[in-house]
Amino acid sequence: MGLILLVMAGPLQGQDETQPLTVPLRFDHYYTYEQVVEAMKLLHRTYPSLTQLNLLGKSEEDREIWELTIHNPETGDILDKPGVYVDGNIHGNEIQAGEVCLYLADLLLTHYGRNERITRLVDRNVFYIVPVVNVDGRYHFFADANTMHSNRGLRRPKDDDHDGRINEDFPDDLDGDGNICMMRKRDPNGKYRTDPSDPRLMVRVGPGEKGEWTLLGYEGIDNDGDGRINEDAEGYVDPNRNWGYNWAPPYVQRGSGDYPFSGNAMRAIASFMMDHPNIIVVWAFHNYGGMILRGPSTKQEHIPQADIRVYDYLGKNGEKIIPGYRYLISWKDLYSTYGDFTDFTDNIVGSYSFVGELYRIAQETYRSPSSGGKKEEETLFGGEDVERTRERLKFNDYVAMGMLFKPWKPYHHPVYGDIEIGGWMKMSTRIPHPFMLEDLVHRAASAVLFTADQTPEVKMTLLGKKKIGKDLWQVRVRLSNEKAIPSMSYISVNEKLYPKDMVTVKGPRVTVVAGGRLLDEYTGRTLYKEKKPEIQFLQVPGFGHTDLQFLLKGKGEVTFLYRSRKAGSRRMKVVL
Amino acid sequence: MERLSLLRRFSLLLVLALGGVAWGQRGYDRYLTPAEVEARLERLVAQGGDHARLVSLALTPGGRKVWLLEIGKEISAARKHLPAILVVGDPEGDVPLAPLGALYVAQQLLETPGLFARHTWYIIPSLNPDAEMHFFNKPRCRDPRNARPVNDDLDEATDEDGYDDLNGDGLITMMRVPDPQGSWVVMKKDARLMRKANPVKGEKGEYKLYTEGLDNDGDGQYNEDGPGGTNVGINFPHLFRPHRPDGGLWPGSAPEAFALMKFVTGHPEIAMVMFYGSTDFCRVPPKGGRKGAVDLNRIKLPKDVAKQFGADPDKTYTMKELIEMVKAFVPAGMEITESDIASFLGLGAMVNPLPDDLKYYRELAEKYKEYLKEQGMDQERLDPAPAKDGSPELWVYYQIGVPVFSMNFWTLPKPQEEKKEEEGKDTLTTQRIGKMSKEDFLALEDEKLNAYLKAVKAPPQFDAKKVKAMVQGGQLTPKKIAEMIGKMGGGPDEKGEEKVDPKMKALLAFADAHPGWQGYIPWQPYEHPDLGKVEIGGMVPYADNTPPATMIDSLLRGQVPWVFTLADSLAQLHIEKTKVEPRGGGVYQLTVWLSNDGYLPFPTAMGKKNQHVPPAVVQVIGNVAFLEGRDWTPVNSLAGKSVKKLSWLLHADKPASVEILLTSPNAGGDKRTIKIGGAS
Repeated sequence: MGLILLVMAGPLQGQDETQPLTVPLRFDHYYTYEQVVEAMKLLHRTYPSLTQLNLLGKSEEDREIWELTIHNPETGDILDKPGVYVDGNIHGNEIQAGEVCLYLADLLLTHYGRNERITRLVDRNVFYIVPVVNVDGRYHFFADANTMHSNRGLRRPKDDDHDGRINEDFPDDLDGDGNICMMRKRDPNGKYRTDPSDPRLMVRVGPGEKGEWTLLGYEGIDNDGDGRINEDAEGYVDPNRNWGYNWAPPYVQRGSGDYPFSGNAMRAIASFMMDHPNIIVVWAFHNYGGMILRGPSTKQEHIPQADIRVYDYLGKNGEKIIPGYRYLISWKDLYSTYGDFTDFTDNIVGSYSFVGELYRIAQETYRSPSSGGKKEEETLFGGEDVERTRERLKFNDYVAMGMLFKPWKPYHHPVYGDIEIGGWMKMSTRIPHPFMLEDLVHRAASAVLFTADQTPEVKMTLLGKKKIGKDLWQVRVRLSNEKAIPSMSYISVNEKLYPKDMVTVKGPRVTVVAGGRLLDEYTGRTLYKEKKPEIQFLQVPGFGHTDLQFLLKGKGEVTFLYRSRKAGSRRMKVVL
Repeated sequence: MERLSLLRRFSLLLVLALGGVAWGQRGYDRYLTPAEVEARLERLVAQGGDHARLVSLALTPGGRKVWLLEIGKEISAARKHLPAILVVGDPEGDVPLAPLGALYVAQQLLETPGLFARHTWYIIPSLNPDAEMHFFNKPRCRDPRNARPVNDDLDEATDEDGYDDLNGDGLITMMRVPDPQGSWVVMKKDARLMRKANPVKGEKGEYKLYTEGLDNDGDGQYNEDGPGGTNVGINFPHLFRPHRPDGGLWPGSAPEAFALMKFVTGHPEIAMVMFYGSTDFCRVPPKGGRKGAVDLNRIKLPKDVAKQFGADPDKTYTMKELIEMVKAFVPAGMEITESDIASFLGLGAMVNPLPDDLKYYRELAEKYKEYLKEQGMDQERLDPAPAKDGSPELWVYYQIGVPVFSMNFWTLPKPQEEKKEEEGKDTLTTQRIGKMSKEDFLALEDEKLNAYLKAVKAPPQFDAKKVKAMVQGGQLTPKKIAEMIGKMGGGPDEKGEEKVDPKMKALLAFADAHPGWQGYIPWQPYEHPDLGKVEIGGMVPYADNTPPATMIDSLLRGQVPWVFTLADSLAQLHIEKTKVEPRGGGVYQLTVWLSNDGYLPFPTAMGKKNQHVPPAVVQVIGNVAFLEGRDWTPVNSLAGKSVKKLSWLLHADKPASVEILLTSPNAGGDKRTIKIGGAS
C-alpha cells in the first residue's frame, strides 16, 4: 500500500520534468518552483509584445523572484493605465496560489485578440503578476517532507525556542514517504479511541470512557534533546507579517521578523510597487478556507466608509463568482495581524486590496443528493466534526483514489517506542486534488478580472461653455467614471498619501481668471480655488463624476489636461 | 560599595582625560561638516592601525555615506566574543555637538591604552549627515530631514517652496507681520518676544508669524515645501507614526534607519547603545505614563472569543491563564506562546518602560549627577527633549532589549531668577494646581480653593468641598482639574503676568551674558514682496542646542567619559564556582554557580519581555551521561550583581574530564575544566 501511495503521489507533485511545458499551460498538476519560472519565461517568449519579465530580487537562499507584466504597449504607457497587481504563495505551503497567477497570465495572453472582454482588459489595464513570493518556501514544500501546514515562512534563521540554537529541530520524515504525518501510540489512558465506523479515524473519549490512543503530534524526533519535538524548524519569519505598515515586533506577534522589510522578497516587492505607483487593485492569494478578505487587519485601523462601499461591491460580486467563498473582514472575522501585505498596499500604495483564501474542504464530498443541505461551514480553530471527516475519508478513497490520507503504519520511534504513523498528507486539506484545480484557478482568476474591469475609467467631457462678458468665458468640465473604483482611494485622500489627480488648463492666448469645483450644475454653486486656478486637484469617485468650472479670459484654443497617478491621463481641447 | 568603585573609576577617567595632548590641538574648537567628520574618521582609523576599521553602512539620499568606525581587538573576527558598545551620533541631524561627541569617544579609545580591551566599539558619528549640512549651509536653517525629495504640500511640484534668506544675514529666522487675523502679540515686558493673544481676556491678536521666506510657488503658503526629506530620527518602528510628511513612508524607509536596524539586529554582541542627540536618558529616563499599555495580568476577552474558549467575557484573565485555556483547544504538541495570544487578541506593543528598568535608570542618573558635579558641570539647564515616537532610542529600548542611553551635551542654562519666582507665591494658579500631588491638593485651605474656583468661573456646584471629595475618590486628579480649567480659558496666570516661553527666556539671558555670540536677531523692518512691511528676527537656528564653539571642548571633556563608566556597568557573566559531589554508583551531582559581576542585568527587563537578546548558554562537554539536565542549558536572564545556581546529575563509569563552557552573545563568557570520578 505504501509503495502504491508513493507511485500515486507522482502526478500530484508536479509535471514530469522531462516533459516540456507548452502554451496554453496545463492546470491538471502543480508546478514546482522551477516549473513556475520556466512557465513564466515560456509565456514571455510566446507573447513578447504583450509581456515583460522582471527579476525583482533574490531570496534568502538565492532563488530568483520573478514578475510578469502583461499589457499592450500600443494602447499607452504602462504607468498610464490602472495597474492590477496579483501575487501568490507568500506562504511557502500555499502553493495553488501560484497556479492561480499562472492561470491568470495564461488566460489573458492566450485569449487576447480572441475574446472581447479579455482583449479589452489587456488593452486598458496593466497586470503585474508575481506567482511565487516565497520562492524558497515553494521550493522546499515540494522538495522536502512537510505537513500541509509547514514551510510557511522565510528561510531567515530564527531561534524560535529561544535556546541559543537556530533552526535545530525540524520535523523528521521518519518513514521516508515525503510527508510529515501524525504519530499515535496505543495507550489505555489516551484521550482518543478508534472511530467505530472508520478505523483510520480517532474520536475524543467522553468522560468516563476508556481511551485507546495518545496523539504524539507531527512526525519527528527531538533533534536537539531538549525534551520537545519539532519546536524549531525554518525561520520563523512570516512573510505576511513583515511589511512596513502597522508592523509589530516579534514579542507582540510571532514571526514579524526583526524589523519591517527584513525579508528579501518583501523589500523587493515594496520597491517594485514604489516604482509602479499606478497599482490600484491588489490581490494576494493564499490558502485556505474559501474567503475573500479585505482589511483592516486590526481593530484599531480604520477604512473610510466610502472605501468600504467600493470593497462591498467588489467583494460581494466575488462571492458570486466563486461559489461558497465568503467576503469577510480580516481582523473581525479571522484574527488580528500586524504588518501584513494588504494593510501595506491599502495604506501606503493606496490600492484596493483583497486576500483570496483559496479552497474549501467542504468541496470534498461523498454524499447522496437526498442528504440535502448539510452544514458546510468549517470551523477555523476547533477542528472539524467527525461526521465530515468520515465523509472526507470516503472522498479520499473513492474520488481522490487514496492520494490524500496515509493509512496508519507501525513504526519504532527512538523515544516513544512502537507507534503508528499516518494521517492527512501534505498535498491534502489545504490544497485540492488536481482534478479540482482548473475550476479553482479559473474562478479565482475571474474574480480578479471582475475587479480589473472595475478600475477607474475616467472620461473628460465639456459640460458647458458660455460667454459671460467680453472675451470672458465660463467653461465647465466633467470628469466621470463609469466604474466602481474611484480614481484614488479615500484612504489615499484622507491620509494624504500622494498628490490628488490634477487638471491643468492652458491656452496660448487665454488666462484663467478663476477655477474650482462646481458643486451644483443647476444652481452653479462653485468652490473657487484661491490661488493658481489653472491647476485643480480632485478625486473622481466610482460610479460618479466631479465637475469643474473655469472663468477664462481670452480666445482661441484651451487644453485641459487630466493626470492621475492611478487612472491615467486625458486631454481635451476647447476653442473659445 | 558600588558607589565607591564607580567614583574611583571617575577619578581614573579624569586623570586619563586631562593627560596627553593639549585639547585645542585635537580640534574640538569648531563644528564639523559631514565631510570634515569623514576626514577626521580617516585620520582616526589610520591612527588605530590594526585595531580600527571604517565601514560605510548606507548611502543617504543626498549621496553621503553613513560611516561606522569600529575599534577593538577583534575587528577582523567574523563572530565577536567581546561585548560591543554602539555609539550613534545625531539621528535627527540637528545637533552639531553630537558627531563631535562620537569622535571624542573614538579619540579617547585610541589614545588611552587598554580602554578598548574589554569591549568592541562601534561608532557612527552621524546617522543623518544630509540634515547636518543645514547647519553649515548659507543660509543656516534647522531641519532634521534628509535629502529625499518629498512633495510636502501635495501640489504639482516637489521641494519648490523652501526658506529664503530675505535680509541676507545668512540665517533663517522668523517674520512677524501685522495682520488683523493674527493671533500673536508683542510682549510688554520684552518687545523681543511674542506670545499668543488671550481672547478670553479680551485681547486681540496683532501679528502673524511666518518662517523667513517667500511664497515661491504662489500658492498662498510660505516655505511649506522645502528640500527633503525624511527625519531619520523618527523613522524607526517603535510607535512609528505613518503618513507624516517628514516621517518617511514606513519605519526604515530611510536608508540610514534601515542600515542601523540591519546592523544592530545583525550584531548580537552589542551590549549597549549610546545615542548623542536631543534626548538624555543619562539624566532623564525614557518617559512612561502613556495610555494604551497592556496589563498582561488583566486581559479581557472579546465576547465571541470568550464563547469559543468557554471563558467569561466579563472577567479578566492573566496571560498564563489564557495560554492554559488555549492549549486545550489546539492539537497535541502545538506550542502556544505569549506572543501568539497577544497577536491573536491584538493586544499591541508595550508603550511604557518597565519599572525594573527605571530603577537602574534613576540610580545611574543620580550617579551621573554626582559625576557632573565633580566635573563642575552641574549648572542647572533646560530639560532635554523627550524621545520622539519612532525614535531609534525607543526602538532599541523596546525592541532590542539592551541598555540604551543617550546624552545631549548642552541645553540653555536655566536663568537664575526663575527659581525665585516660583517660590513665595501664595495665590493659587492653574499651573500650580497641575503640578500638585493629591495630598498637597487635599491640604489646600477651602477658602483659598474657593477663591480660585470663583476666579476661573467654575460652575457653582464645583466648590472646594465637592472638588476635594472627587480628588479623594479618585474621579479627579489635580492634573485633570488643571487641564479642564485650561480648556475653559486658563484661569489667572502666575501673578497675572505675561507667560514667557522658558526657552526664549533662557536664550535671551544666555545671549545677554555672551555678547559675542549670536543667539538672537533683533526684529528689523523689511519690505516683503507679498506681505508688505514685515519685521525679521527671533531665535537664531540652533541657538538652543549649539553653544559657542569655545565651549565644545570642555562640554565634551566633562560629559563624554561617562560612557566608559556605563560600559563598566554592563553585565559580565562568569562561572563563580563549581562543585562535584559523588552520589555513589558512578553518579555525580554537578553544581555550577553563574554570576553576573556587572551592575546592570542581563538582559534588561524589557529584553526579558521581548526576547530579542539570545540567551547565555552553559554547555557541559565530556564523556558523561546526563541523568538530569542537558549538555546545553540556555540561561535567559541574570540580574545585576547576582548569582544563579544550576545543577546536573551525571553518570560516569570512568573518571572523566568535563568542560563547562559559558557563552553569551553580549555579556562575556567563561570556561572551567573539572574532573569527575577518579580517586573517589
